[in-house]
Amino acid sequence: MSLTVALSKGKLLRGTRELFRRAGLPFPDGKSRRLVVSEGDLRFLFVKDMDVPTYVEYGVADCGIAGRDVLLEVGSDVLEPLDLGFGHCRLQVARPAGSDFSPDGASTVRVASKYARVAAEHFLGRGLSVEVVKLAGSVEIAPGLGLADCIVDVVETGRTLKENGLEVIETVAESSARLVVNRASFHARREEVARLVDTLGRALP
Amino acid sequence: MSGAHRLAQIPPGVQCFVGDEARRRRRIEETVLSIFEGWDYEEIIPPLFDYADVFAGEALSSKTYSFVGRDGSILALRPDFTSLLAKIAAGRLRDRPAPIRLYYSGEVVRYEPPRAGRQSELFQMGLEHLGGESRAADAEVLTIAAECLEGLGAEGFVLALGHVGVFTGLLAGSGIEGDRLEGLRERVEAKDARGVGRALARIDLAPGARGALERLTTLAGGLDVLDEATQALAGCPAAASAVAELRAVAEAVRAAGLGSRLAVDLGEVRGLDYYTGLVFRAFVPGLGFEVGGGGRYDTLLARFGRPLPAVGFMLGLDRVALLLARQGGAPVSSSSPAEVVTGTDLGAALGVARAKRAAGTRVRFGNGGGR
Repeated sequence: MSLTVALSKGKLLRGTRELFRRAGLPFPDGKSRRLVVSEGDLRFLFVKDMDVPTYVEYGVADCGIAGRDVLLEVGSDVLEPLDLGFGHCRLQVARPAGSDFSPDGASTVRVASKYARVAAEHFLGRGLSVEVVKLAGSVEIAPGLGLADCIVDVVETGRTLKENGLEVIETVAESSARLVVNRASFHARREEVARLVDTLGRALP
Repeated sequence: MSGAHRLAQIPPGVQCFVGDEARRRRRIEETVLSIFEGWDYEEIIPPLFDYADVFAGEALSSKTYSFVGRDGSILALRPDFTSLLAKIAAGRLRDRPAPIRLYYSGEVVRYEPPRAGRQSELFQMGLEHLGGESRAADAEVLTIAAECLEGLGAEGFVLALGHVGVFTGLLAGSGIEGDRLEGLRERVEAKDARGVGRALARIDLAPGARGALERLTTLAGGLDVLDEATQALAGCPAAASAVAELRAVAEAVRAAGLGSRLAVDLGEVRGLDYYTGLVFRAFVPGLGFEVGGGGRYDTLLARFGRPLPAVGFMLGLDRVALLLARQGGAPVSSSSPAEVVTGTDLGAALGVARAKRAAGTRVRFGNGGGR
């Protein structure tokens, strides 16, 4: 039986494809719209980036590739044996540029985010009261429209923030792509999993 | 929410089992309990609730359903069995010489959202070996765990063994505690070597301990990992002696013919406020999470006034049932169809049914008709 790998078609796809090529592992050519693709002795599942850890935690996929940002938000119990060294970004707190908003000065921090759990923990952890407005996207417009005082979001270059009139005030966490492995597969399918981890590990820059 | 709606709805976290599902669960329970009996363990049926203090311990108390008794005392529905058995062993069985071998089977409730084959109401079957020589007790419990999984037909199961003394030994004298300890433990448990390195930044450690802690994330695999670990941890006597203890137990279980069922995972560092030695989890291909596990907890019984070393093991019936349903084992329907007994004379028909029952026949009494 082949190993199943969960991937997202989002921003980590290109880095993942390059890594698999370098490692000499099979990878789907991306022409098909099928969400389950067998290639060589691997089976690939294409799912939403936030769902990759869930597929792996439940063992539906033996491994997967997910950003640390997603792992922090989903909080799944999975193994993270490799930092794959691509997809670098930061989870950061941003406010309208030039505003005098400060989380520590607010009676309640109103924060908009796709990362509801990360955002809540970031402020609760330092004893602040927090109200999270959970959004599915376009988070950057929330403060300007009065939906929230600030946002917690993934920042790569900072351009999107700037164009939407926001500035970074705090960093919550650093992120990069990780290989994640199901706990049961790690032991119950030890040889195959170890071979994959090893092959990918040796292909890292 | 209207009352009528509640009458139809099942609260999240609890389940109800019908027919073949219920039968499958009973079969599993019978199989496991007969193995516990076969190793001369004695059943304990502990109370459904007890004083909340009995279940103290950080991991459990946040998940306990507690309530105020009529006399103002704080009570809790049992979130686990081990504390109750420890209390009974130290109390009612205080004059019983060690080792004491006890088992249990029943529901526990934990305030947890349903996730990964776990509900708020969980059915656990487990045993506790209290007192006695540690190495022999550990090996016995692992052997029984293997027999249970074999008896259940869990194909390809693996017992992944660790020892919390490796991790605590490497941290001895570092003064790391609280959130930082938890952050480090969580990274070791995730096998994230770089994350371990980051969590150790700005912490004073004995020379070599930093590298050894990062190594814990890769010291997992077959029994040969123990050789690697002995070398890698030679600089830290406490960690090395934990590996030696683990090796002695693993060797014994291997010599008993279970070598192919054993794996080593020194990154297994759960429940540090509870476990004191061996820890293990049972994995089976086809189920993404463990079906059971256990470990050594030498300090718990002292809380109840009878300091005895102890080791235990538990299988989650819900997960075993899920696994067996997925592995597509033999259907668990009842063996033979029932024989219908009917007649115009109710008393005579009942007499016939009674006679057939006395002969061991399955009977469906056909009189009376339903609405």
